[in-house]
Amino acid sequence: MTTPAILQIEHISKSYGAVKAVSDVSLQLQRGEILGLIGPNGSGKSTFFDCVTGLGMPDQGSVRLDGTVITGWPLNRIAREGRMLRSFQKTVVFSALDVEENLVIAGQMFVFESTRATFGIGKHAATIVEELRIRARELIKLTGLWDVRHMPAGKLSGGQQKLIQFASMLMPKPKVILLDEPMAGINPKLIEQVVEAIRYANTQLGISFLIIEHNIDVVISLCQRVIVLDQGQMLAHGTPQEIVINPLVREAYLGG
Amino acid sequence: MSQLQETQQTWRSGFRLPAIILMAAFVLFAPAFVGSYSLHAVVIAMIFLLPALGLNLLVGYTGLLSLAQGAFFGVGAYASALLSIHFNTPFYINVVSAGLISGALALPLGIPALRLRATSFVMCTLGFIVIGQAISKNWISLTRGDMGLSSVPKPYFALGPWSFSVVSTAAYYYLALAVASLAILAFYLIVRSPAGRNMIAIRENETLAEAVGIPTWTYKLIVFVLSAVFAGVGGSLYVHYLTVVSPLTFQMYYTTTILIIVLGGGVGTISGVVFGSILFVALSEVLRVAPEIRMIAYGICLLLIVFKFPKGFAPVIDKVWLALGGQRA
Amino acid sequence: MLNLLGEQLLNGIVTGSVYAIVAVGMTMTFGVLRVINFAHGEYFMVGTFASWFVIEKIDLGYPQSVVFAVALTALLAIVVGYFLMRKMVGAPFENGVLATLGVSLILQNLAVALFGGSYKFFNGGYIEPVELFGYGLAQQRILIVIVCVLVFIGLDLMVTYSRMGKSMRAVSQNIECCEIVGIDVQSVVLWTFVIGASLAGLSGVLTAPVNVSVYGGMGELITFKTLPIIIMGGLGNVRGTFIAAMILGIAESFVAGFIGLQFRDSVGFVTLSLMLMWRPHGLFSLQSRF
Repeated sequence: MTTPAILQIEHISKSYGAVKAVSDVSLQLQRGEILGLIGPNGSGKSTFFDCVTGLGMPDQGSVRLDGTVITGWPLNRIAREGRMLRSFQKTVVFSALDVEENLVIAGQMFVFESTRATFGIGKHAATIVEELRIRARELIKLTGLWDVRHMPAGKLSGGQQKLIQFASMLMPKPKVILLDEPMAGINPKLIEQVVEAIRYANTQLGISFLIIEHNIDVVISLCQRVIVLDQGQMLAHGTPQEIVINPLVREAYLGG
Repeated sequence: MSQLQETQQTWRSGFRLPAIILMAAFVLFAPAFVGSYSLHAVVIAMIFLLPALGLNLLVGYTGLLSLAQGAFFGVGAYASALLSIHFNTPFYINVVSAGLISGALALPLGIPALRLRATSFVMCTLGFIVIGQAISKNWISLTRGDMGLSSVPKPYFALGPWSFSVVSTAAYYYLALAVASLAILAFYLIVRSPAGRNMIAIRENETLAEAVGIPTWTYKLIVFVLSAVFAGVGGSLYVHYLTVVSPLTFQMYYTTTILIIVLGGGVGTISGVVFGSILFVALSEVLRVAPEIRMIAYGICLLLIVFKFPKGFAPVIDKVWLALGGQRA
Repeated sequence: MLNLLGEQLLNGIVTGSVYAIVAVGMTMTFGVLRVINFAHGEYFMVGTFASWFVIEKIDLGYPQSVVFAVALTALLAIVVGYFLMRKMVGAPFENGVLATLGVSLILQNLAVALFGGSYKFFNGGYIEPVELFGYGLAQQRILIVIVCVLVFIGLDLMVTYSRMGKSMRAVSQNIECCEIVGIDVQSVVLWTFVIGASLAGLSGVLTAPVNVSVYGGMGELITFKTLPIIIMGGLGNVRGTFIAAMILGIAESFVAGFIGLQFRDSVGFVTLSLMLMWRPHGLFSLQSRF
């Protein structure tokens, strides 16, 4: 008997008024897998993400994370209890705060036992925060942001903000990370770095990934399996090699 | 660092400590050399500092605009007045109860209100003031309606065999100073804690805060309740100073003043709010500006804040403080 | 009893008409600007004050005072709209709250500073009663209702057929597209605001003979009644606002008549707060009328 998938998504549908954005999409993310989600613009990928991560209630369907049903959980609970994190297509950071603070905040809710504990003013709380800072600095060094670590995140370049976003997701120890077009708008050298980072997180830290991406080269090199959405429905699924030669996919998305 | 810079650094840090000591001395011994009316103005300023701190927590740190501070201020005032009139309780019980009652009221009000989008939330908080006005005017058996409650006892303390009443302006100055200092300390501890960091995150980007596991709604509720506690304590201090309370305490004037103190003084900083209190409240009391002129000035200030000084006057204070060698607050 | 009921109903309709004329301006402004104008009641006050001033100090008749009052309100609105409201396009809504609050403080207290804080007596208008359905009703009240109906018909026509009206609809639905399509958003915002404020001023001058007392702070009460109306009617929804205004007018009248006069002014906001807390989606949908 195989171990159950870490993320089991069944029959998700979501409509906005008359527009059916997502129509009966199911997928299973296996433990330790990197799964790609591709499709033309408007095919419902981001809406699907939102439904899965608690930023919108699906009209139908269920989401099961590591055995627990999380449909209807708010985003913060999915992150904190479910240990499933997501990035945003438009990179967001806490603009007025510096890089280190951004990362400390990203880790706080995962090490304090409760909301009440975060109001702690004593030694215990201070020690926890100090440990977070140490970890944050490690990540800052790893992502090459050391020189700008005291600058307000809002003043950094798009690429640097993307790195902050990634580092933030590695502050806690998540089980699953959902990335929404991680390679959008960054230069090729940085793309390489990000791909390496994802591979590292996957193989060394055991994190499973579900990635929306338009960059087919990245998809081919990173993902073990790919799912194709078109007009809210699943068009095809398989290995990257199978997908690129699939005539339906080529017509709808890849061109030629 | 060049030798010149080193000398400047030493001179500045040498200057900073005496500056603090001088300020502390001035604050502690003010009644000795400041006139009675000016002292009164400072007392009022310190009273308003409390709800302003609460609003700062809401707006400055969590990014939530609320107009309800005036309502909780009034609730605290009435609660404290009623307790002391009917039960003759000592001041420390009144002031703490006022805070707790305001906070307790904020809970059932905040839970549904915080589900609203920002615009509707502001309206709802405005509604709290109107409801407060209506209740204080019409629940005559409790509040005596428009006549209000007068002869509210001055604060008295009973410690074993000793008891004393705070009657003179100078004595009230020290009482207000003590309460205000405690409030500032509490505020400092809250915003410096990990929770304070979470609040700033919510202000900066609520969705991202959610994405990193922060239960934003819970924090907003906690902050809403905490700021009501601050406002309630302020109300208690107010009513025992003036010895009267009436539905007039629920006028827009109080909410507007608190708003100006926070936004004009410096949103999101402690020194800014203190500065705001002194500037907008103490100064206008001392100058005995006619109420209409004061309100026109407030209106102009609001416009200036929106169009020219979105961070209030805090940046100005910051520059002075940094010039003296201090750290960022 | 039926007599009393009928009387309250008629009173309520009159009051509702007053509110409707004021509220439609505020809701239209929200529609194009997404700003709740906290100073809206002050334009009502300006209308009343201007006409009072003209009657008392310059000895003009009531009809002339109406023209003067609306003109002055419009002028004021042009100034405020040009220098202030236009800048609110795209700004975070807190700016709108604070800026209009500031304007409200300035206008209210300027009136007190210039004319004193005492209540003035408004001497003018058509207060002769006329018989209607067996009730004695001041002519002015009937005038108010007629004007209200005309205003709403006029607005409906303007919004549906005129170019400005179509631009207004476009701006309130999708402001980014408008600039691409070539609609002068700033201009639409300005004129919507001016129309709205002038209507408030008109309502003020029409109601003055009935209200009789004139004082600087009177606008605040109007704002506090208009806010619930536009939210319950649906922000930006002209028809919903009309209905909500009528409901509030009649409700206030009944509360004043059967429960107690002292509760009348609280009805609006208390209902709004309760509704917001229990039924956040409003009585009508948030679809923009235009």
